[in-house]
Amino acid sequence: MGEYFMVVLLDDHRMAKIRGTGLEEHIKYMFGGELRLLEVKVTEELKDRILQEFDTARVDSRGAITDVPVAFMRELFNQVVEKKSLGPEVVEAVLEKVDEIKKAAEKESEYLPPPEIEEE
Amino acid sequence: MSRFLIQRPLPHGGRLVERVVTDKEAAKKMIKGCPSYDIKPTLHYETGVPVRNVYREIMSICYGFFSPVEGSMKQAEVERILKERRLLNEWIFPYPLVFDISEEDYKQLGVGPGDRLVLNLKGKPFAILDIEEVWRIDNPEELAHLTFGTPERNPEVVREPFNKKHPGWVIYRSLQPVVLAGKYTIINEPKFRPPFDRFWYPPRKSREEFDKRGWRTVINHQTRNVPHVGHEFLMKCAAFTGDVEPCHGILVNAVIGVKRRGDYPDEAIVEGHEAVNKGGYIKPERHLPTIVLWDMRYGNPLESLLHGIIRQNMGCTHHMFGRDHAAVGEYYDKWATQILWTKGIPSYGFPAPPTDVPYGLDIRPQNMREFSYCPTCKEMAYSETCGHKREKLSGSFLRGMVAEGVQPPTIIMRPEVYKVIVKWWKHFGYPFCNEKYVVNKEKELEVDLEDL
Ligand SMILES: [Zn+2]
Repeated sequence: MGEYFMVVLLDDHRMAKIRGTGLEEHIKYMFGGELRLLEVKVTEELKDRILQEFDTARVDSRGAITDVPVAFMRELFNQVVEKKSLGPEVVEAVLEKVDEIKKAAEKESEYLPPPEIEEE
Repeated sequence: MSRFLIQRPLPHGGRLVERVVTDKEAAKKMIKGCPSYDIKPTLHYETGVPVRNVYREIMSICYGFFSPVEGSMKQAEVERILKERRLLNEWIFPYPLVFDISEEDYKQLGVGPGDRLVLNLKGKPFAILDIEEVWRIDNPEELAHLTFGTPERNPEVVREPFNKKHPGWVIYRSLQPVVLAGKYTIINEPKFRPPFDRFWYPPRKSREEFDKRGWRTVINHQTRNVPHVGHEFLMKCAAFTGDVEPCHGILVNAVIGVKRRGDYPDEAIVEGHEAVNKGGYIKPERHLPTIVLWDMRYGNPLESLLHGIIRQNMGCTHHMFGRDHAAVGEYYDKWATQILWTKGIPSYGFPAPPTDVPYGLDIRPQNMREFSYCPTCKEMAYSETCGHKREKLSGSFLRGMVAEGVQPPTIIMRPEVYKVIVKWWKHFGYPFCNEKYVVNKEKELEVDLEDL
């Protein structure tokens, strides 16, 4: 127990940004290689802080912290790139911007642009 | 015929409760000269946000989902439920269900035992309540604690004291003090709005549908989620249980009611399940997505008991239960539901499973673990048979992926299901339930009513 983490999904756009950070070797491939991601470590104390700051946040059965604002997830990726790290200092840096994130989250709690895919 | 064949169980209590008057002229006569009351949502005792609408209970009672319950409960019945989870007629039942109003409304109405009260919904006559008893909830907080349990009283399965972060506890904590007890009768059938209308199979209709399809054995899948491939495998593999052959049918029964922010919209949930059979992942001949109206109490083992009752009433022979069944937070043991159905929980009044006590249930539990993708087997594998390290996925992990605008791989979510999510995302401007959705839903509800 006490093992928590957050998942950073990597699409092509994000892959370009982490090139040269030394994080490439930590990329995990899931579901037969269909999904690329990085896992950022979160301490018990940081997990509690996230749950306290964001009432939608949940911890899933694997210990992954999910359901935080999309703005949080974007900043998480930014900090991964900036710190070139997957350690707890990444989430710490994200939480330093908690007010900014909450402000952005207020808007995104009303609207998120839908992806442009074809419907039936 | 093989002696191993399983027959469809009778409804809980022996017969289906059906309290719906379809003859409008008769209905008009029934309510002539009676006082009326506009149904109000139950508001959160602190924030004022709607947390429940009793209309959903009236619907589920009158159409027989909650058989043998027939109305708003008397004080003695509520007390018995809190002690032994039994109705006054002995049949097991998990929750108090009451029609509660404020002291002011009670004074204004001036009704009492023997009176018939017309209940209006959205400004139209909807149902009647024949009052048999008026009683008071003196301490709603105590009622809430007694309803769900405490770590001291229910050490087998309760891990944390319930509090205002638990939506079910909040519902009971927010009840109004005056209870009008008595039977409900619907006198003006509400019409479900699309897409809900085509998923409405109350017990009589679902049993008829099973007959039409030749389904003797039917396994239920409880849901309040858009299905991912893990759910799909749970459904199709649990269906192998059956008797001398796998279950003939898979009944998906989605609980439709008050939403929490971050849930998927109910519209996406029902159509998402439908997309599973439209896409042929489980063929439509074997799969039937349906709904039941209920504001989730998240009572894990207690909720599973209600689920067993609902689905037995609908005609199912089997019910699948998983980890954290109908749970929120960490109030209950992760496996509390499976403990109830395999051993019983004495502190709730079940020294044996609910299928093994007098006046209990006949539906068979199928306790499942989980399916996830195994890169070695290269397939969705069952946690108890695959010996490899699997790639687990959770609903919340998926939600995060969706929110970030990343289409999940086909092995996680079928593209047909994802398209349904995006369809309703475009409709509501949001992939999940936001504040606006939650508030609107409680204003508009799932139904409309015509004039009587
Ligand atoms: Zn395997």
